[in-house]
Amino acid sequence: MDHDTREMLIDTAGRFFAERCGKDIVNGVEKGVWPAEFWNEIEEMGLPLVAVPEDKGGVGGNLADMMAVLRLAGANAVPVPLAETALANLLISAAGGTPSPGPATVALGGLAFSNGRVSGKVDRVPFASVAGRFVTVAPSSGKAVVAVIVKANAKVTEMPSHAGEPYGTVVFDNAACEVSAASAVSADRALELAALARAMQMAGAADKVLATTVEYSKQRVQFGRSISTFQAIQHMLAELASCVAATIASAEAASRDADEGGLADGGSFSIAAAKTQASDFAQRIAAISHQSMGAMGFTHEHILHHYTRRLWVWRRDFGSESFWGEKIGAAVAKAGPQALWPSLTSSKYAA
Amino acid sequence: MSIPKLEFPPFHLPADAEALRVEVRAFLKETLPTVRTEDRFSSWNTRSADFSKALGRRGWIGITWPKQYGGSERSFLDRYVVTEELLGNGAPAGAHWVADRQSGPLLLRFGSEEQRQAILPRITAGECFFSIGMSEPDSGSDLASVRTRAEPVPGGFRVNGTKVWTSGAHNNHYCITLVRTSGQHGDRHKGLSQLLVDLKTPGITIRPIINLAGRHDWNEVTFSDCFIPESALIGNEGDGWLQVTSELAFERSGPERFMQNFHVLRELVRVLGRQPAKRASAVLGRVVARLWTLRQMSVAVAGMMQGGKSPAIEAALVKDLGTIYQQDLPEIARVLAESDATTEEDMADFLDVAQYATMMAPSYTIQGGTTQVLRGIVARGLGLR
Repeated sequence: MDHDTREMLIDTAGRFFAERCGKDIVNGVEKGVWPAEFWNEIEEMGLPLVAVPEDKGGVGGNLADMMAVLRLAGANAVPVPLAETALANLLISAAGGTPSPGPATVALGGLAFSNGRVSGKVDRVPFASVAGRFVTVAPSSGKAVVAVIVKANAKVTEMPSHAGEPYGTVVFDNAACEVSAASAVSADRALELAALARAMQMAGAADKVLATTVEYSKQRVQFGRSISTFQAIQHMLAELASCVAATIASAEAASRDADEGGLADGGSFSIAAAKTQASDFAQRIAAISHQSMGAMGFTHEHILHHYTRRLWVWRRDFGSESFWGEKIGAAVAKAGPQALWPSLTSSKYAA
Repeated sequence: MSIPKLEFPPFHLPADAEALRVEVRAFLKETLPTVRTEDRFSSWNTRSADFSKALGRRGWIGITWPKQYGGSERSFLDRYVVTEELLGNGAPAGAHWVADRQSGPLLLRFGSEEQRQAILPRITAGECFFSIGMSEPDSGSDLASVRTRAEPVPGGFRVNGTKVWTSGAHNNHYCITLVRTSGQHGDRHKGLSQLLVDLKTPGITIRPIINLAGRHDWNEVTFSDCFIPESALIGNEGDGWLQVTSELAFERSGPERFMQNFHVLRELVRVLGRQPAKRASAVLGRVVARLWTLRQMSVAVAGMMQGGKSPAIEAALVKDLGTIYQQDLPEIARVLAESDATTEEDMADFLDVAQYATMMAPSYTIQGGTTQVLRGIVARGLGLR
């Protein structure tokens, strides 16, 4: 995809989400209403196939294109498994398969693959109860296998996330696979890519929180003036802007590194750092925005919670700051003090 | 709904800058072992005239300046790499730091040809060091309220007033001094000018101001009927405010705003050993991720500057985040080392390092623009004022 096509895709997707993904859709999903028409439109635009090659029916973009779309999805609280389906489709096509239509999700970690069947349990699978297919990357005799399991072969216990999205626990009991193939990426790498997707969604959501809060503070009049003119509020919003800018900058840098370094292992360190940072900043971002917007922002009526609740939930998805932080910390400690600076400047784990 | 965007587009340092990094590392590997360990703990706050001279010989001071003034005509990004390598390796780069970062660039942009020829080649040789003469007893964050007065007299100015927090004035050669050359005290930005003051000029008294850690970095510099020649005026009379603002942009955007106490992090890695407990690893990794992000943002700012933009708001934002990080680091490290250092001896050594870093930490969010000044700048960037 060339630069202009990419710009057009981003522009179109951004306008589409802003127009179509209103409060009704986001609140509807929380009440258990699947926005079928909205999903169909997403598919018609090819968004779940952004990073799938054209000869496999995809849009032919790269990983960074997909991540750019997911940042926009985050900025509009898109309450359907776009990130999960786009990643699932990427994993399938990278293994030589052709993705099927319909919402899918990824079930990563804790699964075993043998004799063409999958067993095990995964907690907190996003959109578990609305996905038609589950895609996993599981180790199998020293190699990694991509496996697609249809809904009928999985046992789902719904456990909605605190953001009201239909997460759940999924159990596969010697489940037959619709497709299985040698994976282009390891199971650990699949988790990294999922973490990158969430970090980009968090970057988008953080950006929206900032915009919403700044806008509100300009309009809200107290003591006869806009509250944005009070220095106390200005300093809070400046800190909020810093946290948001850092979240976006780390996610975008990780997205670039992942894309340039190749699907198999590009940007490994950067992704871990970006998801750590996004998760670490989420609370401060939510806290400042809510403090700035007072009782109004604490209502269900206002949209602020669509973003702050997602930030809180997404912190844990595909590895929290503790998980990724530990990975970075253990690697840094193992390599020793002299390797720290070269590791930071190269954005790579020390060899 | 639209608000001004504060974006830090990912930026790659180009291949020639990365090649320079390899050279700088090799140079430092050779040079640094002779530097005392405790001096390596404060990098750009530690002076070594010998080190500055050696660096100057390599052409790495004033690296971006024209060759006719002793520069190397390399890119701003090359300068960025040299700077961060000095910090990352704890080089005692304090003597030439201010001259390289802001005084030289200021002279290059606003100085007279005579000033450039007289001063810049000495800076690039690592032989001429500068102080910053901005703050006064009654002018800190509110810099436009300076009272030091330069009264025009035949052939120059008669200067009276006092500058404070003047780092290194007792060792440096020059101090670029912000003075009022016309108008009244209340005139704010109007009537201010900058003078290139030779610190040996009669009428100047330099007295130490010891900081809370017992260090003598700062001075009080008093001017009593001090004659400064006309040729020392930098730029036009009355342009001081414009010049000082552009100088502050250089002062705020560099990696020293998050790398100043990098040694604390490196020492922390050492005392935690090669296999820390899971919880300790997680805390360490979160700090490393934070520093990595700051560097990504700072490199992005360098990229914008190289591209001809003036990212003053972005620079203020990075300095705000960076200095708060630097302030948090000794505390996070201290608590972690108390529980997770591998040996008692290591822990005792490290706690001394952390204790010193804790004492220095309050200065980070004051010097070069306080947190509150920076947040005011960012708030303006958000369209709030």
